[in-house]
Amino acid sequence: MGQLEENSVLVSVQNLHKHYGDLAAVRGLSFDILQGEVFGLLGPNGAGKTTTIEIIEGLRQPDSGSIRVCGLDPRQESMALKERIGAQLQSTVLPDKVRVDEALHLFAGFYHRSASVNLLLERFGLLEKRRTFFENLSGGQKQRLALALALVNDPELVLLDEPTVGLDPQLRRDIYALIEHFREEGRTVLLTTHYIEEAERLCDRVAIMDRGQLVALGTPRELIMRSGQGTRLEIHLAKPVGLDRLRLIEGVIDCHEADGAYLLRAQPAVVTIAALVRFLESEDNALLDLHIARPSLEDVFVEMTGRRMEN
Amino acid sequence: MPAVRIALLTIRLVTRTKVALFFTFLFPLFFLFAYAGLIARGKPEAVAYMFGPVVTLNIMGSGFFGLGIQSVMQRERGSLRRYRLAPIGPRTIVLSNLLANYLLQLPTLGLLVFCALAFFHMPMKIGWSTLLLLVTVGTFAFAGFGLTIASVANTMQEAQVYNNVVWFTLLFLSGVTFPLPMLPRWIQRLAMFFPSTYLVSAFQSIMAQAEPLLDHWLEMLALVTSGVFGLLFAVRLFRWEKEERISAKAKLWSGVFVLPFLVMGFWMNTRANPTAMWARSYHVMEQAPAAGPNAEAEKANLIENFDGVQPSEELLRRWQISTDSDVSGHSMAEISLLTPGAKGTPHALRLQGHLAPGPNNTQGHISARCEVQVPANSSGLHGVEFEARGEPRVYQVGFQPPNVAQSGSSSAVASVSADAAPPFPAISFVPGEAWQNVRLPVAWLANPASHGLVDGPWVLEVSVTGPPGEFALDLDEIRFY
Repeated sequence: MGQLEENSVLVSVQNLHKHYGDLAAVRGLSFDILQGEVFGLLGPNGAGKTTTIEIIEGLRQPDSGSIRVCGLDPRQESMALKERIGAQLQSTVLPDKVRVDEALHLFAGFYHRSASVNLLLERFGLLEKRRTFFENLSGGQKQRLALALALVNDPELVLLDEPTVGLDPQLRRDIYALIEHFREEGRTVLLTTHYIEEAERLCDRVAIMDRGQLVALGTPRELIMRSGQGTRLEIHLAKPVGLDRLRLIEGVIDCHEADGAYLLRAQPAVVTIAALVRFLESEDNALLDLHIARPSLEDVFVEMTGRRMEN
Repeated sequence: MPAVRIALLTIRLVTRTKVALFFTFLFPLFFLFAYAGLIARGKPEAVAYMFGPVVTLNIMGSGFFGLGIQSVMQRERGSLRRYRLAPIGPRTIVLSNLLANYLLQLPTLGLLVFCALAFFHMPMKIGWSTLLLLVTVGTFAFAGFGLTIASVANTMQEAQVYNNVVWFTLLFLSGVTFPLPMLPRWIQRLAMFFPSTYLVSAFQSIMAQAEPLLDHWLEMLALVTSGVFGLLFAVRLFRWEKEERISAKAKLWSGVFVLPFLVMGFWMNTRANPTAMWARSYHVMEQAPAAGPNAEAEKANLIENFDGVQPSEELLRRWQISTDSDVSGHSMAEISLLTPGAKGTPHALRLQGHLAPGPNNTQGHISARCEVQVPANSSGLHGVEFEARGEPRVYQVGFQPPNVAQSGSSSAVASVSADAAPPFPAISFVPGEAWQNVRLPVAWLANPASHGLVDGPWVLEVSVTGPPGEFALDLDEIRFY
């Protein structure tokens, strides 16, 4: 599929800047995407994700910085690059009266190399809808058609801009399955999202963006491990105990009480749980219930930016 | 070819959209029936005159609204963004829109021609290839207009404003709605700056007067040039995204698009005089005979109008000139076709020459004769009439029955009329500078047989006898009345 070696850099973005008037949409962004990985740009709305992906697609010109995609410069070699990438826009608009298979045949005809339209229809669950007008497709079907269009030239790099935005959870999971299939085929995928679940489930590596800047980069696990937020423990005890005494247990970072339960942040969690059991035995108390919640990328984002993702 | 693929899809989309179908195919027919019925009053020649404005209206509409607004709508709606991800450029999109717009014109044109022929018996004085070429040039030019407006308009609202200003100006001031000869002189002068004026007038000259397209090469060149400018601007200023804005400077540059018509307008106002041509075409419409049985009768009564005559050979074959050379005279004459003819018709006959004194100071004499078939049913006919103008001399016109013509002499008109049996009519007339109607009563024309006249071609003879000097006589629209 690709001309590059496995684990070679397929996309290289260095010190990218883009302004819209006075607004700095992207500020000094740098990252590499390796061949065969699913790379996520995670951030709230307005973080600069779409601008970044559109610069990579060659749709927008950066103010400064260097960028190479599939060994090509999107600014200078846009047409050659478009032959090798497939992209899905945040919102794909086609003429109302175009049929599903017509759209696929039309776009397939633009490329030197194209995938089988029938296979795409089958794979994206659109075979029965092949003669349906675009205006009569549901939101999920439109999104699946957009993904099929992104694959119509059998690309080595697939760029997906918020592929599941606006879809219900079931449709979102359908799209996840399709993206996971891209990975199995060995395609490199760059996706933008503001859904934590999506990034954690799909992405090999994630770049967290905020206000045009990169705030963290790594695998989801690395980012969580690197986080100082700690694991959340929710415990129910047989007898009440003072919060100041709980804070003295090994590994406890923070502690507070809510609705009869004690909420602890602990790092490392395993050490804290062992110490908690010993403490309760010494106090003749008993652990009635225990819930353990790992920190999420949301926690990482909050830690890095001081704001929640949806804000 | 991606452009062809997109164009063909666009055409399919039009056929699936009722509103688009209506405005593309049926709406132009509404204008044809309105123009042909209300303005041309169903008269075939007049319908031919109004056919040009109908086609021009359709071409303008498709350029401004089909192509121009469509281009802006594509951008506003965001459907161009998906194309932008494919390895195709602005040129492909612009060409595809242009091609789809043109191909959609053709069935509409076919429908218009069919309806004009079937319902209004429009005379088809234009060849299909000429018609197609004219429509192609017009479509290209107005596509340039639509594309230029789409290029400089930042929003749909802006495009609508530009479109309406240009559309209504062209609609009312360039002969598309009101024939230009009906409008004041200053509007006619203004109209010389508008492209639709030249498309309409070319159509009318060709469709109503059978003029060759080559006579309008300059207008065609201006239309093509503006189309090329429009296309270049559309590609150069193409925008994929509605957020992209065009600078005021670029908008000003796009004004170059109208340059060919500024030049044309200036040239036409100062060096040429298209108003005479417009008037001739208009006159044809005004004087057009009604359709139906009356039209057939009118046609049967026509002796000669010189509109379908080839100048050199056919004219000389049909009209014979006799001079006074057989009596040792030295008068000379020639006949030629004159443009335009009477009542704005394309051609008339000109008889001109020089009368020289003969031996013994006899007066010079020239005559021109042509054979005429009397209609089979001549019961309602009273004589022969024609339009004439010329040098103010005394001319004679005579109408000789077959048995007289077979033995008659060329100079017999004035002198033999009193002696021949049966007597045949002749009158004298003096033409003026303006066209005037001359009537020659033929009392026994209604029933020649009762006067013992045999079948066969009769002879119409026009002659001049008089003092030495130049003479010129124009004749047109010779018919039985």
